Amino acid sequence: MEYNPVILQGQHTSDDEILARTPLDAKALGGDSSEIIMELLQRFKVRDVMKRQVISIPRKATLRDAQRLMRDNRISGLPVSENGRLYGIVSVNDIINGLDGCWMDEACESHMAKNLVVLEAGMPLAFALRYFNNYTYGRFPVLDSDRKLVGIVSQRDVMRALLYELSVEIRKLERKTSPKGDQVRQEAKENFFRKEWAVVHNDLSRAGHAANAIKGILRERKIDRTIVRRVAVAAYELEINICIHSHGGVIVLLISDDKITITAKDRGPGIPDIEWACRDGTSTANDWIRSMGFGAGMGLSNSKRVADEFTIQSEVGKFTKVVCVYNIPHAQQAAEGGAQA
Amino acid sequence: MTITDVVKILDGKLIAGDASSPRVVGAVVANDLMSDVLLNDADDILLLTSLASDQSIRTAHIVGAMGVVIHNAKPLSETMIKVANDLAIPLVSSPLSKYDACVRLHDAFVAEERA
Ligand SMILES: Nc1ncnc2c1ncn2[C@@H]1O[C@H](COP(=O)(O)OP(=O)(O)OP(=O)(O)O)[C@@H](O)[C@H]1O
Ligand SMILES: [Mg+2]
Repeated sequence: MEYNPVILQGQHTSDDEILARTPLDAKALGGDSSEIIMELLQRFKVRDVMKRQVISIPRKATLRDAQRLMRDNRISGLPVSENGRLYGIVSVNDIINGLDGCWMDEACESHMAKNLVVLEAGMPLAFALRYFNNYTYGRFPVLDSDRKLVGIVSQRDVMRALLYELSVEIRKLERKTSPKGDQVRQEAKENFFRKEWAVVHNDLSRAGHAANAIKGILRERKIDRTIVRRVAVAAYELEINICIHSHGGVIVLLISDDKITITAKDRGPGIPDIEWACRDGTSTANDWIRSMGFGAGMGLSNSKRVADEFTIQSEVGKFTKVVCVYNIPHAQQAAEGGAQA
Repeated sequence: MTITDVVKILDGKLIAGDASSPRVVGAVVANDLMSDVLLNDADDILLLTSLASDQSIRTAHIVGAMGVVIHNAKPLSETMIKVANDLAIPLVSSPLSKYDACVRLHDAFVAEERA
């Protein structure tokens, strides 16, 4: 007999419908949020911050299995799911009750919570925050529009992503409002240009935006086609790496008189063996990544091949930073100057 | 061989992009791993792939490809079509397998050279 959990929230809705239903009201979001926060809360979707590797357990597994899985993975809530379909959640409370009542060898399905509150992948973060306010749960399962379990999101995931994006936005604002900082160092240089893009972990639908935009910017500036392509290749490889291998980061484009620099920096997990990672064909990619067209282990060596200078630094648990520098030949500059004059 | 010729040769359909694009195929790259595609230095690549995702279009844009063919009539998502239109990359869907598509393109090139 198929068991149908009662799912309290999340009808079929498109991003736009959800957006239209979300009032842009600071009070609804729990306080005096600044405009930037509001904008972030709308722009970022649950899928941008959720964990995609959901650890789950089948219905027939015992509470003891669930307890082990939770202990080994240090999680306090375990979705009960089969083939992407969500049936319930086992929480620490259910385990405590099981220990207390001596039914740890019984199946999860008979003790899990079945009245589930779920989020949809396309919902704006504003929704997720409201859910955390309105319900006492520490995490919510995330379903896609086909009602399949695609992720899980905790309050921490939301906060981490928000804080990070905020810091990026604030840095942008600072650069706009004060002539100090980076701009001072670059003052002497005439055609200085800088732009940065945030890259969100695991959001492959958005990855590549930065690289495509960088290509557009360089073409507009009439940079030599072969250089544009070389820059774009590295930007794309590094952007995809941040997306699939890191917790998220930024791609920065810097154009000065005689150089183009692409910097890719993320917030970890870092690369334990850089020499190994830079070799042709070495990769830690999983099947999911390969099914998305990546994981040949060529990205870093490819970026190195196309750049005039290539440096990579990494600290496990902290960051990875890759810098690719390209020289713009003098003839090129002259042509550019001529075109502008 | 323009993108309209490619559509004919592969019994395909043009799903996005400009049918009247004058660009001609410079090289055919048949690959599902995007880093491999990015490794290729050829100009005016026609990318033949089973990877029906935004990333094949974005990769094509990075290498300045003249078109993308998704073989085996894999279903194409709306966002993929939108990205193709946004980046002005002609996108073709063909019912042929990768092998058959390659053979037909090869034969067409040989015929073109003889003519
Ligand atoms: N930003 C990063 N953070 C953590 N690890 C990384 C990062 N970039 C690369 N790595 C590690 O280095 C390995 C090699 O990276 P590389 O880009 O060369 O290949 P890949 O991403 O696995 O495959 P491909 O780029 O061909 O799609 C990755 O598999 C991953 O383990
Ligand atoms: Mg890579």
